[in-house]
Amino acid sequence: MKLMSEPTSSTSEPVTRSDRVTTAADPKGNASAKPSPHRNLIEVDHVDFCYGSNHTLFDVTLGIPEKKVTAFIGPSGCGKSTLLRCFNRMNDLIDGARIVKGEIRIHDVNIHRHEVDVIELRKRVGMVFQKSNPFPKSIYENITYGLRIAGVNNKVRLDEVVEKSLRGAALWDEVKDRLHTSGLGLSGGQQQRLCIARTIAVEPDIILMDEPCSALDPIATAKVEELIHDLKRDYTIVIVTHNMQQAARVSDRTAFFYLGRLIEYDVTRKIFMNPSNPQTEAYVSGRFG
Amino acid sequence: MKRFFDAELETLRSDLFHMGECVINQLRLVLKAFSEGDSHLAQVVVDGDNVIDDLEIRIDEEAIRYLSLRAPIATELRILLMGMKASHEFERAGDEITKIARRIKNISSDVPIKVGPDIVQMGEIAASMLSDALDCFIQGTEEKALAVCHRDAEVDQMNRDLQDELAELMTRDPSMVSRCVDLMFVSKAIERVADHATNIAEETIFLIKAKDIRHTAETRRPAASGR
Amino acid sequence: MNANVATAPAHVFEKRRTVARTREARAVWLFRAVTYSVLFCGLFVFGTIFVRGSAAVFQTSFPFINVGFFTEAPESLHVFEFDGAAMQMGDREFREFRETHNLGTTRVESYVYSAGGIFPNIIGTLLLVAGSMTIALGLGVAAAIYLSEYSAQSRFIQSIRLSILNLAGVPSVVFGLFGFGLFVLFAPVIGSEPVANVLSLRMWPLSLYLNFTGWNVSLIAGWFTLAFMVLPVVITASEEALRSVPKGFREGSLALGATKWQSIRTNVLPYALPGILTSSILGIARVAGETAPIMFTAAYVVRDKLPWEGLEHWYDILFQGVMALPYHIYVVSSKIPQNEYTERVQYGTAFVFLAIVALVALSSVLLRNKLRGAYRW
Repeated sequence: MKLMSEPTSSTSEPVTRSDRVTTAADPKGNASAKPSPHRNLIEVDHVDFCYGSNHTLFDVTLGIPEKKVTAFIGPSGCGKSTLLRCFNRMNDLIDGARIVKGEIRIHDVNIHRHEVDVIELRKRVGMVFQKSNPFPKSIYENITYGLRIAGVNNKVRLDEVVEKSLRGAALWDEVKDRLHTSGLGLSGGQQQRLCIARTIAVEPDIILMDEPCSALDPIATAKVEELIHDLKRDYTIVIVTHNMQQAARVSDRTAFFYLGRLIEYDVTRKIFMNPSNPQTEAYVSGRFG
Repeated sequence: MKRFFDAELETLRSDLFHMGECVINQLRLVLKAFSEGDSHLAQVVVDGDNVIDDLEIRIDEEAIRYLSLRAPIATELRILLMGMKASHEFERAGDEITKIARRIKNISSDVPIKVGPDIVQMGEIAASMLSDALDCFIQGTEEKALAVCHRDAEVDQMNRDLQDELAELMTRDPSMVSRCVDLMFVSKAIERVADHATNIAEETIFLIKAKDIRHTAETRRPAASGR
Repeated sequence: MNANVATAPAHVFEKRRTVARTREARAVWLFRAVTYSVLFCGLFVFGTIFVRGSAAVFQTSFPFINVGFFTEAPESLHVFEFDGAAMQMGDREFREFRETHNLGTTRVESYVYSAGGIFPNIIGTLLLVAGSMTIALGLGVAAAIYLSEYSAQSRFIQSIRLSILNLAGVPSVVFGLFGFGLFVLFAPVIGSEPVANVLSLRMWPLSLYLNFTGWNVSLIAGWFTLAFMVLPVVITASEEALRSVPKGFREGSLALGATKWQSIRTNVLPYALPGILTSSILGIARVAGETAPIMFTAAYVVRDKLPWEGLEHWYDILFQGVMALPYHIYVVSSKIPQNEYTERVQYGTAFVFLAIVALVALSSVLLRNKLRGAYRW
């Protein structure tokens, strides 16, 4: 008769005490996250943001940890996409959009300073958009676009990058024998994965995803989620999503925004199992509004 | 399509399997301790209950986490709900076995020859019921599950017979009263373990067929049931 | 038999005659009638030109096209009787004939520009169209890119846009006078010495001078005048074409680290080209057919040399005047006495003009279709 031994098993995400990020309310009632021992690649420090005279973000402070998936959730118009677009300064394209207070630091550099080269920033902080926008060029040209405009023209290197990126985006097997056909000939899910491949071809540190699956059917969505799970080994990912189950599935940290304020930011399992803030509870259980 | 969080469900199932095996193992050990009057072995069984309790807590945690974060539906949802229930049943079965182990220390080796083997035989049947129920749950087959439900009647009958016999033994020989009470207790405990195994089997049938057969004619015990 | 049965509907969705349906039928007939009458008018005009011009363009013997009409310069027509037969001859032929035959006192009637061909005019028009469309597209696309991609959308820019649109309504005569005043009389010419009585600026540090003597009546003056005339159409259409390219292309390329110009050059402009070329088709028709602007700036009634003949330097061709088709029609129709011979030349010229514009527009359409296939989105 064998004696019982301690059972051993592994969960997909070992939750250690140091992982827990606690949210405390400051006197104004805004939530701010205390920094965790893990390195924070992006630091948002008391940021206020305006579109012209429209005040969109109020005193937002949080830290995005490295090589993890962070999700921004919240109802429409709560400012999550706005904050996301600040990280690669895509808001510069809109007249009158600016940060009025506070700063955003990536790699400990305030990215809105004058000396910062926006082109360089955007090479390190890639973005995948809600509506997949493959260029009407061939798949090969789509992927090599980022490198070509940076001046890389060596065909051998470009071929390598194309294969590596398509493999990284779990698309290689599906398109390897039609690399020179138009990118528009792919299905919706494939197009979005092509856009992801295009983004990782320039080897960014951070990938921003603005509701990447909202236009996709469930199977394509599942494939993109599997891809995100793989990508987080090498890239830091920030994803904005309306789909709560998606945020629960893919993210390690979740931030809940409402009306431009950060209400709660914590490890995902805390947000979905036992949120501290009643507004968060109402939102994740679908009883908001 | 395989998802990256499928591993979490697999972990839960393997934890449940481990828990079941622990409980069956405990039962076999306690039966051995009973038939040999080995109080050291009984102490081992008592200590071993902690592992089962820890497993129950862990399975519950994993199940709640999976329910919150993965939003399961259909078969997955039934696996989770029934897994939580099964773990509770196993835990209670483990408690019953521990109580038996505690009593063994009191029982000396001069157990009435006739009664001892009957109890061990009942225990063996209960162990095999647990084993079959666990198999069905993990593998998802229903044939053995119904058989488990029906064997419970047999165990109930054996228990009733034993109770009658021990009662008679007590009236004949008043010096054996305390020992007979212990034995009656052990018999009842084993009968309860068999009941827990039956519950697990019913839950397995719900898991497979999404049909709740508890308290229905298929599994209802005869009206003249024991104490 | 019940009368109701006969009128009862066969099924729920049966068609019934309603007021709305009658109105629709009437409206469709009206639209059809209007379209066909417009078509008929157009065909009538083209038909007249074709029928009457074919006397000059075609001939009954092989090769069925009056090649001389396309390859010779305009000449005077001499009509006379000789040996009882009525003869018509162009100037050169007549001179030869006069040497070999004795005309004596035969009465010869001469009609100006009624013989020969219109070759220099064709060349002139083609050169004018080519040059002015190149300038117009170059300037127009650049301005459109600036207006739609780079400038802030302020009220100032809006007013600029409005002014450009207004330019489209300016009469072409005014453009001709503008071109005359600016390009013919006042445009700068690079020279090695300053010219007296005229604004001369020294181009530091070179020892060359910018003399504002004007370009005189020349190809280059005509090019710029015509280009400015057609610029509003090109700018507006190009802006529309640029705006129709989805924003996602720009955002996608910027997010990959492209500069704004890289993004426009590689990801916006190629896909706006079909739209830009469509505007050029409209521009070509206008540029080829306008008389007033070139009257003051580029066209001669008659010029004995072709633009590339008798040049000292290659760039002198820019400063040559040319003959042009629409101007020729004007001259032949109103500046000389009218008779059956001039009528033939008028219609022939008009016919050739339409044919040329159609050909150039067709090639532009073919180019656009090819680009559409290559840059489809």
